[in-house]
Amino acid sequence: MSTLTLDAPVVVPPPAKPALRLSFGGVLRSEWIKLRSVRSSALTLLGAAFAMLAAGLVFASTISDNGVGNGPGPRGGMTDPTAISLSGVTFAQLIIGVLGVLVVSNEYSTGMIRSTLTGVPTRFPVLAAKVAVVIGSVFPTMLAVSLGAFFGGQAIMSGGTLPTAAIGDPGVLAAVVGSAAALTGVAVMGVALGSILRSTAGAISTLFALVFLAPGLGQLLLPTSWRDDVLKYLPSNASGSFTSVTPAADALGTTAGALVFAAWVVVPLVVAAVLLRRRDA
Amino acid sequence: MIEVANLTKRYGAKTAVDGLTFTVRPGTVTGFLGPNGAGKSTTMRMLVGLDTPTSGTAKVNGKRYAEHSAPLQEIGVLLEARAVHPGRSARDHLLAIGATHGITAKRVDDVLELVGLTDVARRRVGNFSLGMGQRLGIAVALLGDPHTVMLDEPVNGLDPDGIKWIRQLLKGLAAEGRTVFISSHLMSEMALTAEHLIVVGRGKLIADVSVAALIESATRGVHVRTPRASDLVRLLNGDGVKITSLGGGVLDVIGRTTEDIADRALAAGIPLYELTPQRASLEEAYMELTEESVEYHGGTTATLREAA
Repeated sequence: MSTLTLDAPVVVPPPAKPALRLSFGGVLRSEWIKLRSVRSSALTLLGAAFAMLAAGLVFASTISDNGVGNGPGPRGGMTDPTAISLSGVTFAQLIIGVLGVLVVSNEYSTGMIRSTLTGVPTRFPVLAAKVAVVIGSVFPTMLAVSLGAFFGGQAIMSGGTLPTAAIGDPGVLAAVVGSAAALTGVAVMGVALGSILRSTAGAISTLFALVFLAPGLGQLLLPTSWRDDVLKYLPSNASGSFTSVTPAADALGTTAGALVFAAWVVVPLVVAAVLLRRRDA
Repeated sequence: MIEVANLTKRYGAKTAVDGLTFTVRPGTVTGFLGPNGAGKSTTMRMLVGLDTPTSGTAKVNGKRYAEHSAPLQEIGVLLEARAVHPGRSARDHLLAIGATHGITAKRVDDVLELVGLTDVARRRVGNFSLGMGQRLGIAVALLGDPHTVMLDEPVNGLDPDGIKWIRQLLKGLAAEGRTVFISSHLMSEMALTAEHLIVVGRGKLIADVSVAALIESATRGVHVRTPRASDLVRLLNGDGVKITSLGGGVLDVIGRTTEDIADRALAAGIPLYELTPQRASLEEAYMELTEESVEYHGGTTATLREAA
């Protein structure tokens, strides 16, 4: 004791007492700082942008070389020039979904969530702010690359024998914007799944199964009599109704498709919000 | 000010915190002491709303933590488990946490300076040593310039310089009138830092005492050295007095004060060469306390070890 009482206490800067206040604007800023200060965010965003552009342009050029009906790839035989240039959505949604998952699951895997929820003990604003910054960063980026893929794809195809589309043609702009919206929606689904499952691997697998595997598996495994009635409600098939100019014949209508897709985003988000409030961190 | 009342937390069949009641007052350093697994971390987590109590209340400065308009200004915490993203820089980590409360970049830089991390502020936290990580955690705790500071095992991973630094920091904070509440499973550490102790074992309160009182209660006997040991034994014997010969004319006397022994020896003309009250170390006092609690609650050392 004696040696310690001789030591002068460390001088802490006098409390300047600025009026601190926890606010939603502050939580938004906090989530934005978090998003931009880890590498995985930029990498996944760039990866998704690259997939969207590259797939669209490559598909446009191969289909344009080989002519209608002989094109390789998942949509071989497709003739809609808008859909050809936007075909990257299939791949980009997986990568952008990972971005959404990581925004939350990273916090659980590193323990950061304890710092986060100690700062914001009401918790709900954290989830809301995460959704907001994901939408705010993903939608503009994906809109830009969707436009880029569309114009790039049409430019490539205009050199061949295929018909091309103009942005002013009926339904084209809606399909381009719809593609960006669908990608954003999958990212938000990722946020919700990451928050519900609290595990990067679990949430990515679930998202992958739901968005990518389920349509194909359903096609293979379900009885033909009712398979199409079920499969059209899956997220990627529902979003097909508003990401293409000429949706598949058995798809949902544009509005119905948009509503079903929105439900795939909103319902998990509500579950995530309830669990976030209820569970111990 | 921290007020815990009848606080209980059960995880399934296991009761981590069992009807705990105590108050931590401002202006002193209060130690939260108990073996590993005694429920210290769980209690701290409930105080900041990370865990919901099964029953009872945990209040910080008069309210539940989440009810404050600026929680980080009420209480700053360092929890035992690491709570940072390794890919983020120390500065960004603090900026992100501070942003929720409108804490400025200037305050972030000041706190980095205070904990001695200015030079590595822009380095990724994943490359930090245990001690640097601990300093970053303390920076988080001080970020909101809080009235109450609560640190779980703060000296973990710190080198001797760091340990000395944190003791002085905590004493300084208490001297400014703040409430300082720190947990440890090491009595020796608490002996040097805390003035008051909340001792827990297996989720229950064992003692709520000042360090001075605890040492007092653990006072053993008096060592007396005399050339006429057998005469002195006869003189001092009585109800409730226990005398043991330690050899070489030294007696250990329990049940009589030094004054009493000296007066009686003088009256009988027995010379005393040495008269020393024996104090148990704080460590011994603590061991005694926790042992008693185990006996009292009918447990075995095996269950204590299991809980740890």
